[in-house]
Amino acid sequence: MTDQAQLLPGTLDLLILKSVSLGPLHGYGVLLRIEHISGGALLVEQGALYPALFRLVRQGFLKARWGASDNNRRAKFYELTKAGQKRLREEADGWNRLVVAIGSALNANPEKI
Amino acid sequence: MKTFASLRSLASMVFRRARVEDEMDEELRAHIQNRAGDLERTGLSREDARRQARIEFGGYQKYKEQIREDSGSHFLQALVQDIRYGVRVLRKSPAFTLVAVITLALGIGANTAIFSVVDWLILRPLPIERPSQVVFLETSWKNGDVGNQFSYPDFQRIQEQTSSIFAGSTAIVLFKMDGLSVDGKSEPMWANYVAGNFFSVLGIKPEAGRLFLPSEGKFAGADPILVLGYSYWRSRFGGDPNIIGKKVAVNGHPMTVVGVAPKDFQGVAELLDTQGYMPLAIAGVTQDDPENFLADEKSDDLRVIARLKPGVTFEQAQPVLQVVAQRLPRVNENHGAMTVLVSPLGPVSLTSGPQVRPELDLVSALFLILAGAVLVLACVNIANLCLVRIAARRREVAMRAALGATRGRLIRQLLTESLMLAILGCIGGILLGITASGAFGSISLHTAIPTVLDFRFDWRVFAYALAAAVLTSVLVGITPALRVSRTDLNEVLHEGQRGSTAARQRLRSVLVGAQVAGSLMLLIVAGLFVRSLEKVHHANLGFEPTHVLDVSIDPHEAGYQEVQARQFQKTLLDRARALPGVASASLAATVPMGYQSYSDTLTIDGYQTHPGESAPRAGVNAVSPGYFETMGIPVLQGREFLDSDDQKSQSVAIVNQTFVDLYWHGRSPIGRHFSSTSDPKHPMEVVGVVANSRDTDIFTKNDAYYYEPLAQNYWAVTTLQLRAVSAPEALAPEVTSLIHSLESAMPVFDVQTLSTELDSLNGLLLFQFAAALAGSLGILGLLLALVGVYGVISYAGSQRTHEIGIRMALGAQPKQILKMIFGQGLVIVGTGVVCGLVAAGALARLVGNFLFGVAPLDPLTYISASFLLGAIALLACYVPARRAMRVDPMTVLRSE
Repeated sequence: MTDQAQLLPGTLDLLILKSVSLGPLHGYGVLLRIEHISGGALLVEQGALYPALFRLVRQGFLKARWGASDNNRRAKFYELTKAGQKRLREEADGWNRLVVAIGSALNANPEKI
Repeated sequence: MKTFASLRSLASMVFRRARVEDEMDEELRAHIQNRAGDLERTGLSREDARRQARIEFGGYQKYKEQIREDSGSHFLQALVQDIRYGVRVLRKSPAFTLVAVITLALGIGANTAIFSVVDWLILRPLPIERPSQVVFLETSWKNGDVGNQFSYPDFQRIQEQTSSIFAGSTAIVLFKMDGLSVDGKSEPMWANYVAGNFFSVLGIKPEAGRLFLPSEGKFAGADPILVLGYSYWRSRFGGDPNIIGKKVAVNGHPMTVVGVAPKDFQGVAELLDTQGYMPLAIAGVTQDDPENFLADEKSDDLRVIARLKPGVTFEQAQPVLQVVAQRLPRVNENHGAMTVLVSPLGPVSLTSGPQVRPELDLVSALFLILAGAVLVLACVNIANLCLVRIAARRREVAMRAALGATRGRLIRQLLTESLMLAILGCIGGILLGITASGAFGSISLHTAIPTVLDFRFDWRVFAYALAAAVLTSVLVGITPALRVSRTDLNEVLHEGQRGSTAARQRLRSVLVGAQVAGSLMLLIVAGLFVRSLEKVHHANLGFEPTHVLDVSIDPHEAGYQEVQARQFQKTLLDRARALPGVASASLAATVPMGYQSYSDTLTIDGYQTHPGESAPRAGVNAVSPGYFETMGIPVLQGREFLDSDDQKSQSVAIVNQTFVDLYWHGRSPIGRHFSSTSDPKHPMEVVGVVANSRDTDIFTKNDAYYYEPLAQNYWAVTTLQLRAVSAPEALAPEVTSLIHSLESAMPVFDVQTLSTELDSLNGLLLFQFAAALAGSLGILGLLLALVGVYGVISYAGSQRTHEIGIRMALGAQPKQILKMIFGQGLVIVGTGVVCGLVAAGALARLVGNFLFGVAPLDPLTYISASFLLGAIALLACYVPARRAMRVDPMTVLRSE
């Protein structure tokens, strides 16, 4: 538990888009996949997932349809739209640039200045 | 794409709301079930797994609310919810709702009623085509004199040379009273004489028949045709369409009715309802003017109205007109000391001089401020009530917050409630306002002249009422809403019945202090106006208005010509003097402060006009012998008019003291001569000097004035004035029957005492109106402040019951408790009074423009208003303070 990190604001959308880009998922599935692909290091507040999912649907990045889950229950599945794919690329690029920038800033030492 | 998706989601949310809600629930529950299943597999018991899953999920309702709020549909959905909830809340406390709605209705009603008057006076354009293009011409002299009258030849010169800026220009002679005889029956008609293109330049279409053609009325005596005003057509002829083409007579001259003006158009002088229009060229005939005034350079009866060409601005028109004006003979004669200006033709501009317009703006602003203050006072009262209610509703609100309502949502809920109150108040206010402005509109102006006071509610008034309502709801709702939504719900849910109220109590005290201040300001202004009215009533007018009866007659309307009319006037005067109970009698062309007053420019022996100065001008009245005795105006030098001052003898005049001071520098004027511009061939010899009196209006007491004998200056319409030994009203039936015994067809009008006559627009009417209006607003403000102070102090007392109980249990005396509660009120009221005095002092400069004989900082008014308000407010504190004093400590302590 202790080595789990709180999500930075705004990164939840990116994580949801990434998880769904790997294949259609229902809400709980999104949670599990985020935990899985982050190696269990990221702590997602479970309920907070749903306002974000609804928002992404409304913005046109995800589309939702009702289908049957693994255990044959009715479940709502989310898929990435074209706009969502584009959005994911942009967000991921932005994130990577940020990571590189912060990383190089943190690696700075007296000789380089 | 994005908008489309959100639109679709909005639509689906609105139309399939229930299903979406169900699906949302299903989805969220499925999540928790899945989670619980996974947890169970890790070895937890079913119960524990479920509990754990719910805890991990977090606030179920909170997230649902967030989802709803995120989706676009939320606004509408929430609004419906808010309104439903609001209706329920308001119905649950009908007393509060009723008090709030009535208070707001009074505030909004006062505002809309006053605004409807302002709308009519200043804002509402004339009902003509594209009114913003229409202008009239004003003259302005170097010495500050202004006017707007021209001669016909001047008008023609202007018309010919301004085609580059004006699409058309036209001329009008305002208001002459004529007698219109139809089928042998004669009645007065107030008519305008207009150029043939008058209606086409203004873009007015006839209600029936036709209007004048631009080619008509160019030659003296040509085109004897008449257009009737709409309301006159309705009232005298019952809207009979067969009147078109009918042969009638105006002052005995044959005329043909050709049309009726449209309903909305009452003429270009809005206060007066024009009853008929005739071509300019007819004026010389019907008015028995011996000279053809179409050719007369000296006459100045015409007002010039023009329509700017599309795209031409005032700034572009002015220099062009300036060049044209320089060539006018009148301007040349005066070495360019006179200039001609373009001014917008507004609802009140032709008949009132340019100095009146800024005053109208000021008085409008003043009364809107006063009415606005009443509305603010009303709002403060409701806000206070709401604060009290909110205190009681804190637990309810906290409960809603705990169930997931966000802060914005709570604020919106409370604002919706206050908006609903405001809308109800607005509806009530509009109804009240319509009633009040209807009452304003039916005020008698004490004249036979047809007037229109058209305070109708047009879209501007409704927009104003709506704006007032919205402002109200924000003022009322925002403070309680912000306050309540900021509270920490944990604290509220856990604390007992008593809240920590110190901060809220402070806010309420400030609001009540402000209320006392606003109310005092209103009271002081009301007091100033009332004192001013009182001063006007007791003002020395220079004549003695009591015991005088006025009766107006017009022999021309009975078909008399000048010779017969003169004889009639003489006989009437002799017979009236012989009536029992009549001390003296006289005839005059005009009455003091009546709607008609005349003045003339003069050539005065021994007085030089300096270059750049307009010619000397003085007011004039034509009177019979006995006038000064009847009116009670003292003759200072020389003599009164005599019967021997007739057409055959030397023209004479009597001047007032100012005339002597101004033009002869106080030297004795007896035997000196002067002549008027309208009749230069008959210089008048001064035979007497009388004391100054206020003739044109209340404010002008020191204008130069002179009197001519009626016998030497014929006037058809005259007023018989009788000084009675006792009550003048009692003479009215006798005089009327005397007149009808002499001539049964003689129209008799404006039969009223001189004191009543003084209640005219030029006399006391405006003072009475202002005092009544300011007084009502003041009383309204006082009531609101009273309720506010009482409410807050008694609430404060009830909130502190517990504390008082403890204090008394510890040995405090009832007197000390009284002092404590009363002292709190004293501080609030005292602060309010000081602020109110400052506010009233600030407003006094504006008020001072409209006062008569009272200083804007009149100490008596300020002190007595402060005492009145202070006393009433302290009484309002005392009652609840006494109640607090009687608290029984045991009851209070046991109740916990």
